[in-house]
Amino acid sequence: MNGSLAPRTPGVLALAGAGLIAALATGRPELALIAVPFLVFAGAGLVLVREPQVTGAVELERVRVLEGEELTATVRVRNDGPEPVEVEVAPARTAQLAVVPAGTVAVRVGAQSEIEVAFSLRPRRWGAHGIGPVAIRARDALGMTNWEGRLGERVDLRAFPSEERLRELVAPLRTQPFLGTHVARARAEGIEFADIRPFQVGDRVRQVNWRATARRGSLQVNQRHPEHSSDVVLLLDTFEEARDEASGTLDSAVRTAASLARAHLGQRDRVGVVDFGGTLHWLEPAFGTTQLYRIVDALISSNIAFSYAWRNVDSLPQRVLPPGALILVITPLLDERSIALVSELRRRGCDLTVVEVSPLDHVPPGPTAADAVAYELWRLQREALRAHLQALGIAVAVWRPGGTLGPALEEVNAFRRSAQPALRA
Amino acid sequence: MTLAAEITLIVLAGVAVATCVKLLPAPRPLRRRKAVSAAPSRPQQLVTLERLVTTAGPSAVSAHAYLRPLLIQIVSHRLVARGQTLDRMAETTGREVLGDQLWDIVRPERPFPADRHGPGVQPQELGAMLEVIRRL
Repeated sequence: MNGSLAPRTPGVLALAGAGLIAALATGRPELALIAVPFLVFAGAGLVLVREPQVTGAVELERVRVLEGEELTATVRVRNDGPEPVEVEVAPARTAQLAVVPAGTVAVRVGAQSEIEVAFSLRPRRWGAHGIGPVAIRARDALGMTNWEGRLGERVDLRAFPSEERLRELVAPLRTQPFLGTHVARARAEGIEFADIRPFQVGDRVRQVNWRATARRGSLQVNQRHPEHSSDVVLLLDTFEEARDEASGTLDSAVRTAASLARAHLGQRDRVGVVDFGGTLHWLEPAFGTTQLYRIVDALISSNIAFSYAWRNVDSLPQRVLPPGALILVITPLLDERSIALVSELRRRGCDLTVVEVSPLDHVPPGPTAADAVAYELWRLQREALRAHLQALGIAVAVWRPGGTLGPALEEVNAFRRSAQPALRA
Repeated sequence: MTLAAEITLIVLAGVAVATCVKLLPAPRPLRRRKAVSAAPSRPQQLVTLERLVTTAGPSAVSAHAYLRPLLIQIVSHRLVARGQTLDRMAETTGREVLGDQLWDIVRPERPFPADRHGPGVQPQELGAMLEVIRRL
């Protein structure tokens, strides 16, 4: 710890000096008598000074929480010295982490003893929040010297994005040959009725449709659609975001991606993630709960990385976009590169849906009349861009912060149903 | 000086010293990481358009070369929803549907401005055009 004179020390010395000088100048010993206690106090404080032996640690109630959830952080302060020490404790602050109490907490730690100081933490946004080391300041018994330092190690608190329960998901056009919940186009063992065909050697008796057999005079069997899983790739656009003081489009995009990942994994789909922006990260599609935690961990590390580098489909490894995968692009549609990527993926015949995280609510119009006109022009331009993507056969769901994703996905499914023949082409 | 006066002086001096001790500076706050929030960011798309609206006012070239293609893109998408296209639209229909101001900007055969330094489209005029587009 670094030691320094407490602010009161020079003042006490100055008072003592002033008293002595006044006594000499006026020839009155009474003034010197007034100065003596200050001299004794300052002298004793400076002679008896000893670095306090304070150690400690920062502990969290748990290291994974949902954003907005409260937890307790405990700072353990131990004094191994022979004298009591006054300690001020101040945890590190960030704009995205509410700490109560917000200021410093002063405690007195007895000799050879330990105390705990509890802070309430609430992450306002998803992400990894570093808690600790905490700043401390210890004072000796006379308060003439301050010792400042840091206590404990950094502990990472991972705040997961809050998720929306989705009742409807985007239905994939193609499925994979694994057991799942999507009705496949292929005909095989399943529940959903597909067609009737004449009996062939190898067909089971339970497949025979006796009514159709009686009507046609020859054995007829039922054909069914199997329930298969699909591959889903969440493509998160992190080139640019619109942000106000409280939140931005990336915050909402990550929440949307987490909701979609959970819902699709719950339907036994293989889900992968691509963080497509200034930096490129990806997770290959996989099944299960472990993949959900991998995805959420990857999502909360997302950030906007400014870059001039041009990126397109060729920047992505082939195994990240398996053939027939449903690609859900979560984007504010603000960067040329992500718009070009969407068009390129569609041209290559990918099954594509755009979830547009609207930036309009995060950006108010400028102060002048010309700015208001520009804002309106921007709104109309975005509308035209959306229409252009839909003309390419890409379903676009517009999601505004504060709203729910469900209705937007229903609209997407309606669009895809009406455009299905063209999409499959 | 009488004894009473001396005692009074000493008491007053004591009070003055006590006041000085009270007024000693408080310890400065502990140094710790500042709570820095992410700065608000305006999308480049919007900033570019704000610049375009400003420059299209005094510059006919800016209005023709940069504002016109954008307006054509927006108007075309609106007209498609009505089953019309800008390319095949007769002048009389165009003027009737889009109004004179907007039609003069987006009409297909609009020549490059003869006076490069002439006035372009003022923000108020552009606002009126956008109002027409909104009503399409």
